[in-house]
Amino acid sequence: MNARMNTPETARVLPVTDDPDSGPFFEAAARGELVIRFCGRCERPLHLPKAFCPDCHEDAGEWRPVRGTGRVHSWTTVEHQVHPGHPTPYTVVIVELDDHPEVRLLGSLPGRADVHAEMAMEVWFEDVDDGADGGVVLPQWRPTTTRKDDA
Amino acid sequence: MTEHAGRDTWQQDRTAIAGIGATDFSKASGRSTLTLATQASLAALRDAGIDPRQVDGIVRCDMDTVRPVALADSLGVDNITYWGDTGPGGSGPAAMIGQAAAAIQAGLASTVVVFRAINGRSGERYGKGYADDGRAGGGSTFEEFFLPYGMQTPGQYFAAVAQRHMIEHGTSSEALGRIALACRRHANNNPAAQMHHRTMSMEDYLDSRMLSTPLRLFDFCLETDGACAVVVTSAERARDLAQPPVLVRSVAQSSGRDAQPGMMFPALLRPTTTSWSSRSVADVLFARAGLSAADVDVAQIYDCFTITALIQLEDYGFCEPGGAGDFIQDGTLQVGGALPINTSGGHLSEGYIHGMNHVLEGVRQIRGTSTNQVPDARVSLVTSAPPPGGSALLLVAA
Repeated sequence: MNARMNTPETARVLPVTDDPDSGPFFEAAARGELVIRFCGRCERPLHLPKAFCPDCHEDAGEWRPVRGTGRVHSWTTVEHQVHPGHPTPYTVVIVELDDHPEVRLLGSLPGRADVHAEMAMEVWFEDVDDGADGGVVLPQWRPTTTRKDDA
Repeated sequence: MTEHAGRDTWQQDRTAIAGIGATDFSKASGRSTLTLATQASLAALRDAGIDPRQVDGIVRCDMDTVRPVALADSLGVDNITYWGDTGPGGSGPAAMIGQAAAAIQAGLASTVVVFRAINGRSGERYGKGYADDGRAGGGSTFEEFFLPYGMQTPGQYFAAVAQRHMIEHGTSSEALGRIALACRRHANNNPAAQMHHRTMSMEDYLDSRMLSTPLRLFDFCLETDGACAVVVTSAERARDLAQPPVLVRSVAQSSGRDAQPGMMFPALLRPTTTSWSSRSVADVLFARAGLSAADVDVAQIYDCFTITALIQLEDYGFCEPGGAGDFIQDGTLQVGGALPINTSGGHLSEGYIHGMNHVLEGVRQIRGTSTNQVPDARVSLVTSAPPPGGSALLLVAA
């Protein structure tokens, strides 16, 4: 693993948003859209996003909007402070999409969030202004507040 | 994957581990990794009765800061004709032995030093995680999907895996605790172990500080300064050397399908989060050996965290998938129990030399020289960490 030293900065960790494989995920988030890459030929999700489908061996992928609802697959409440920009406690959730359970995305909830397995979650878009280059929008997850049918 | 790849072509018992060597394990070695690597390698060569000048091959872990030619220079070898590295990281050690064995069987080298040197406490601490001051991810790391959400350290990843194992199988903290206790009990008999003088009870375990639910301080291994090395040679040559040869019955590295890219966090997106490449490693390893889990007398199971070892007990077939919580009772994993593991104390209580100290202890068990010797140990298993890939080694007496 490429362990690196932390800096004393308190800024949150933000993602690279212009990577050729994952950039469109964050570009869509900036538009308030949740998108996942699928193989245009066999329809399988290609997540984590990759150009070539491992089944078709073709570069036929396309980004498609998906419904922003899911269920909690697992979680951890982080108690031990590591990165100064991420004060503890906080709870990382791993969410499986309802419509594509083979796709899992992460979210972060403040504090010792009361979550449980299979708990219904919904996406929201967090605009993080890092003051430097216009900020980043992160797809985030929270316990469902609306009825599933309305989502 | 190709079912049991190499079953018909792998040649059992053709290579041997002829020497083992280690430095002290500490929190602050005060030495460079090159010095540590040299010290451990010279000890292994002395143990084997081989002149350092005769070394003609060197294999390292891909995360080591010491490069093979640098060690060759430091050891004063005449000429190395083969070097290589593998990993990633802790997935390396058994596969590193495999690389040495392959080089020897292919005629590329005859005397191969395999080493891992690390200032894991006073230098680069892996527990600090992956986040730095720049934007996270990109460049095929896929860390952009994890680090911004606070999933930043190995401990946090393994915590989410442990949580999922508890969800699926009702696994208890006590089951994890019994792994920590077995390692500690063994360390208490091993003067080289960092936790040699520190006893631990289940109460101590359960009272230890929660770091990332459901994992506590004593579920985490010991960041360590130190080095371990072994000398691999042909079985034929090993018979004439100083120590009784310990034969490589089989070695395997395996990814399985859908391993996911990146280093560790992407394994949260595998079809299952609670079984790893260790399952396919076990298939290949046992097929090549003509043995099964039931034949294993003693096992050094990679234990960067307790949950890492627990899941491997299932993946290697010592119990049913999901059954580790029932399998691990008081004493099960200690000498005298059904499956003694980590008899030097493991990463949890001896030290974290990234899986390499497990290889040394696996050799000691076949030699009969462990400080926690399993009587009549004939088949000794050593595993090197999943995820994202894994490797393992089965050692037997000549």
